[in-house]
Amino acid sequence: MSRVMTLLRHRAMLTLLVVIAVWVVAGFARDGFASYGHLRYLLELAAVIGLVAAGQTLVVIGGGIDLSVAAVITVSAIALPLLSPAGDPTGIVGFVATLALAGFIGFLNGAGIAALRIHPLIMTLAMATFLQGLLVLIAGGSAVSTDNPLVVWLGSARPAGIPAGIMVWVVVSLAVLVYLHRTPGGARIYAIGTNPLAAELSGVRIGRVTMRLYALSGLFAGLAGILVLGMNRQGYVGIGDPYLLSSIAAVVLGGTSILGGAGTYFGTIPGSILLVTITALITVVNASPGWRSILFGTLVLVLLLLAGREQRR
Amino acid sequence: MSDQAPIVAARGVSKAFFGNLVLRDVSIELRPGRIHALLGENGAGKSTLINLLSGALQPDGGTIEIDGRPVSGLTPRTAQRAGVAVVQQELSLTSELSIAENIGLGALPRRGGLIDYRALAERAREACALVGLDEPLDTPVAALPLGRRQMVEIARVLYRRPRVVILDEPTSSLSAHEAQTLAGLVHRLKAEGVAVLYISHRLNEVTALCDYVTVLKDGTRTADQSLAGVDPQGLVRLMVGRDPGDLFPPAEPHPAGPVMVAVEGFHAGQIRDAALTVRAGEIVGLGGLVGQGQEDFLLGLYGAIPARAASAKVGGLARCPASVAEANAAGLAYIPADRKREGLFLTHSIAFNLVLPTLGAMARRGLRDRGAESATIARLVGQLGIRGDVRRPVQALSGGNQQKVALAKWMPAQPQVLLLNDPTRGVDIETKREIYLMLRGLAREGKAIILLSSDTPELVHLCDRVAVVREGRVVTTLERDALSEEAIVGAAMGVDRQAEAA
Repeated sequence: MSRVMTLLRHRAMLTLLVVIAVWVVAGFARDGFASYGHLRYLLELAAVIGLVAAGQTLVVIGGGIDLSVAAVITVSAIALPLLSPAGDPTGIVGFVATLALAGFIGFLNGAGIAALRIHPLIMTLAMATFLQGLLVLIAGGSAVSTDNPLVVWLGSARPAGIPAGIMVWVVVSLAVLVYLHRTPGGARIYAIGTNPLAAELSGVRIGRVTMRLYALSGLFAGLAGILVLGMNRQGYVGIGDPYLLSSIAAVVLGGTSILGGAGTYFGTIPGSILLVTITALITVVNASPGWRSILFGTLVLVLLLLAGREQRR
Repeated sequence: MSDQAPIVAARGVSKAFFGNLVLRDVSIELRPGRIHALLGENGAGKSTLINLLSGALQPDGGTIEIDGRPVSGLTPRTAQRAGVAVVQQELSLTSELSIAENIGLGALPRRGGLIDYRALAERAREACALVGLDEPLDTPVAALPLGRRQMVEIARVLYRRPRVVILDEPTSSLSAHEAQTLAGLVHRLKAEGVAVLYISHRLNEVTALCDYVTVLKDGTRTADQSLAGVDPQGLVRLMVGRDPGDLFPPAEPHPAGPVMVAVEGFHAGQIRDAALTVRAGEIVGLGGLVGQGQEDFLLGLYGAIPARAASAKVGGLARCPASVAEANAAGLAYIPADRKREGLFLTHSIAFNLVLPTLGAMARRGLRDRGAESATIARLVGQLGIRGDVRRPVQALSGGNQQKVALAKWMPAQPQVLLLNDPTRGVDIETKREIYLMLRGLAREGKAIILLSSDTPELVHLCDRVAVVREGRVVTTLERDALSEEAIVGAAMGVDRQAEAA
């Protein structure tokens, strides 16, 4: 019994239980919600948020925040067709080049924050604005489509009935969890997020860790951008916009402290699923897009308030 | 004049912070027309006593009397109304406001709800004339050099026509000329029947200016007497006072090991052109008043702030380390003074804190080796005598145990050079003794130790050699047989030098 209580006290478990409860209730309330196909679809959507939130989790635990993820997603979705040479039948070149670009953008964020001591809010927000301007210049507002085979496969293939996107998410999740909890580098992220001064005096190379965190955040946002492109087959300016609030909300819903130093990706995973579930439920309500957005924002706030209360205990 | 009844007095006051007694049964009387010096080393309890007298703190025991009547629940406001004014050591001016506005702040003359600038200017001009400030009154304080700001601060206090003026190290940022102006001013206040409490580390100034002295040491009053016929050397004797007892483990003779740290022409932060040599097995002290650059010395050696030297050997490096990580790799470890801010991850577990510096070394194929970590933690916790669950956050530990964690976390790294920044500050006697034993043990193992301390007895009893730092320079290096509290305090305050010059 006491073990159950201990589990319940973990925010990650709590979030997971909330997700299951919502699924069960919605399943009874509405036909088809709890069908395998629908839930699989929800997870596929959650994978995108989960990937973006993977980088965001690392950055937030390290005491920062990345407001450029939405712009990086859009950049990746639009850049990929441009970076995929026609002569490459596998599509790997475009895929790798896009990830490298996204990772490099993140690295620039980290370099600005670590070397120039610019506040993460300012640095990543400025980066997002810069990228948006660049996109307008490059894409000129028109949508781009892709026939990159690897990306198309990622967005639509279901080996053994499981969408490739979900598989990518599982692999990334495992890697992030191992990094956070099983490597020295992971412990150092918690250290700089808790007390950067003490971390530095304990021999943690803060600049290096910071650049790595933001580079990873860029990389994961880029991966999410590629996945979104594969699922839509089209990229356009603004395609990444919904993922900024979602990624931060998923992190905090999962119990990671927005102040840094505490939390785990293990909580962000159900956090991401909870967010897409809410979106799905809102879609069910017959409301205009404006109201849907207002409803989503309100629900996220309410959930965060409840989650915050829980944490303070 | 000084036979008159005291305006403000403390009678047997005590004060503890978090169970740590910083002031024990201290009495002091501030009489009209008397310049009263308050002396003591850093941490002796001077600031606490001032805060009690000015209502910023309430005593746990004893009473504060104003005009002979005990006052309970004195607040800064009521103290001010009774005429007690403090010139703080840290400047409390608002730098964006003008000289006149700063002087009047809190007691601004008003007309119709708005500031009466004409009346303000008039009164501010009087106050400025008193302290010899001739800058235009609308100059923003931010544009003034530090010494002038201090004079504004004093003018601000005099503007209220206080009956008791407490000056907390007023001359530390003043030029010689300004200090002279201040001395004249203090004499005038005395003639007007104001009670002055004067805190200073400049002993010559104290003997020249003050009539009476109260000395604090470790929170108790060790002297309370007239200053007639007392010279600076006599003051040093008064301050050093009693026998430290058997708090310190006895010194052990040891063979001189290889040189572990040797710098010449060393510059870092405030430190200029310093030289220091430390051999394996030695404990070398860094003494002096707080804030003379000793901390920069350690941080520079540790690669935490930029440092350069004409020649340097720092642990395994033949130059000054460029980063903390490089210093760690060269065999250095640093134990900070403010363990909560600089040494520990308070919300994380004891275990996390103990293994963080050595995680990388213990990892196998990039992954953390939980077995090795647990073994290390168990060993350290056993040595430290910390009981209970190591998964508890380190903030649950007492201050002394926290300090032991901050020290012990480096032990698995096997550092050859330990840089300790005031390791016993705010630590109880029992833990002090344990830390002293640890330091002796580490020296015996052949570590080279540099001990920065604000506790002079500690330096005398633990160190093989003490470099005394004053205004960024090593003013003297005292060898074992020349070590005494008098010698360290004298050098720290520049008494020797001035005695020679005289």
